[in-house]
Amino acid sequence: MKNMAVCNYIISLLGLLISACIMNAASEFPLEFSVNGPGPGFWPFSLGAALGVAAVILFVYTFLHKEDLSQTRVALTLPANRRVYLMMGVITIYCVLINLLGFYPASAVLIPIVMYFMDYHDKKVIALTTVCTIIFIYLVFGELLHTQMPQSIFLE
Amino acid sequence: MGDIASALSMIFIPANLLGLVFGVAVGIAFGCMPGLSVNMGLALLFPLAFSFDGVGGILMLLGIYCGAIYGGSISAILLKTPGTPASVATTLDGYPMAAKMKQPGRALGLSTMASTFGGIFSTVCLILLAPQLAKLALQFSKPEYFALAIFGLSIITSVSSGSVIKGIMGGLIGLFLATVGIDDMSGTIRFTLDTTYLLGGVSFIPILIGVFAFAQVLGSIEEYYHNERSEQHMTIDKVLPSMADIKRVFATLIRSSCIGTFIGCVPGTGGDIASFVSYDQAKRWSKHKENFGNGEPEGIVASESGNNAVSGGAFIPVLTLGIPGDGATAIMMGALMVQGLQPGPLLFIEKAPDVYAIFIGLLLANIIMGILGFSLIKLFVKVVNVPIHILLPIIIMMTFVGTYSYNNSINDVYLMVASGFIGYFLNKLGFSMSAIIIGIILGSMAEQNFVGSLIMSDGSFSIFYTRPLCLFFLIIALLSLLSPFIGSVIRRMQRKNM
Repeated sequence: MKNMAVCNYIISLLGLLISACIMNAASEFPLEFSVNGPGPGFWPFSLGAALGVAAVILFVYTFLHKEDLSQTRVALTLPANRRVYLMMGVITIYCVLINLLGFYPASAVLIPIVMYFMDYHDKKVIALTTVCTIIFIYLVFGELLHTQMPQSIFLE
Repeated sequence: MGDIASALSMIFIPANLLGLVFGVAVGIAFGCMPGLSVNMGLALLFPLAFSFDGVGGILMLLGIYCGAIYGGSISAILLKTPGTPASVATTLDGYPMAAKMKQPGRALGLSTMASTFGGIFSTVCLILLAPQLAKLALQFSKPEYFALAIFGLSIITSVSSGSVIKGIMGGLIGLFLATVGIDDMSGTIRFTLDTTYLLGGVSFIPILIGVFAFAQVLGSIEEYYHNERSEQHMTIDKVLPSMADIKRVFATLIRSSCIGTFIGCVPGTGGDIASFVSYDQAKRWSKHKENFGNGEPEGIVASESGNNAVSGGAFIPVLTLGIPGDGATAIMMGALMVQGLQPGPLLFIEKAPDVYAIFIGLLLANIIMGILGFSLIKLFVKVVNVPIHILLPIIIMMTFVGTYSYNNSINDVYLMVASGFIGYFLNKLGFSMSAIIIGIILGSMAEQNFVGSLIMSDGSFSIFYTRPLCLFFLIIALLSLLSPFIGSVIRRMQRKNM
């Protein structure tokens, strides 16, 4: 558990960093005004500057209201969050598997794992959900809409 | 008349009609399942919409939009868990009527009738008012459009439920993302990281699906870690409202539909505000004040006609001025833009048949919603009970399939996943996803008209405050931006005086 004040300080600093990156990247394009209006860097540079100002305002606001904001807890390390992080890991591996195995085999692996991690262990329902979902996707997207889902790199 | 005939010929194609019915049914299903939302339904089926020819996809999305607002009332009445924020007020009388008075069919029937009436009423208002407003907006030039874009962006303060400053930061990031790719004014290639993938700009659809659908799935995984969703086992009896009930609620029906339509027209508001204001007014004017909160029919009707009437009202600023009022209308506006229909007054001249098709489509969506609501309510009631551990893996799959099928691009899938991961944390930290999407959608309009205005004025910023309409919109935008801060100062002063 973190409190919102700490999170806001981190967001402010990240906001300032992103703002600096945007302004730096925008300054590589012309910023000056010409007959064609402001240069292509002007608008993004202004957005970067505005983001920086907003980040500073958030920092000052948090500093002025730190006691109130400290009461607001942000759940980031609870078991429920850890389940989400686990799921993020599974999804990342799934993204790799889509390339390696192809969409349909990778999905046949993903659906049972997601259901298992959600504390569901009825094998029949897991199998039925997996098969029905994949058949539905194949019929609607593969056959009806002619979408060629990603194939295994070994088959290309 | 020719435009209306063309619009009818566009709509009355079997595939398009089927898409509309499918959209309404899916929308009701999304709305009635707690944990899913209107935005999620629209985002998930957004790519599918482009497999239809012409306005078919837009009709399907209109169906989802209307159906989901109504669907929220089903779980609100049966589970005391509103499917969407717009149905929170419906729980106040809907659940007591269903659970305490043992009349779930009556409550669902009243909610279906009110939702259908509210939706049709507001669509008629849209049909009458939008062309007039569009005629007025035809006088606008680039400075006015820039001011309108800023006004549209200023509603970020209203849609940011967590923190206004974070909402503005999200909007600015959205505006920056809209600058990636080839600059339309100068032809310069900006921020593409030397990849061809970003040449056409940051793809809007993967971000949309990522932040509205995938991030929400991750949020639901967290939410349902301990809490199992409650189930309902009520028997649904007769759902058609009786004449006595219709007589009793008729005035409320009209009043709440007017309130909902008006609130829908104001960018930054939404169904939740409309339903509470309508409920409050119904209670104030009712002869049965004491019955409110105990299953009063007027309470259900006020909330449901109010929130569904928002649908037509919200399309008035979208179609005539190109300003989305909330996340859902921002998605709808994105869909119109992807289909080559740039919302704004010129749309009424250049693509009049398409505009009429949208009008008629919205009208039909509400009628179909009523028919499905009355005839298939027992089926939708079963959908409420679909277990979350079956639902979430299916939605995860649909986010992947939907994202990939739009462009057949695996990079879009990676972008969607990254947006979803980031969106999950941003949600937790009080950022508004709608603000980011509104920033992306209005970014190009704001920049192009800003640059265009300065070309018109030879680089002088005075063009923004010497034109009355432009100044008017900029002042409203400023007031809208400052309203949360002004509100908190006034509240603090009032507290001190007490």
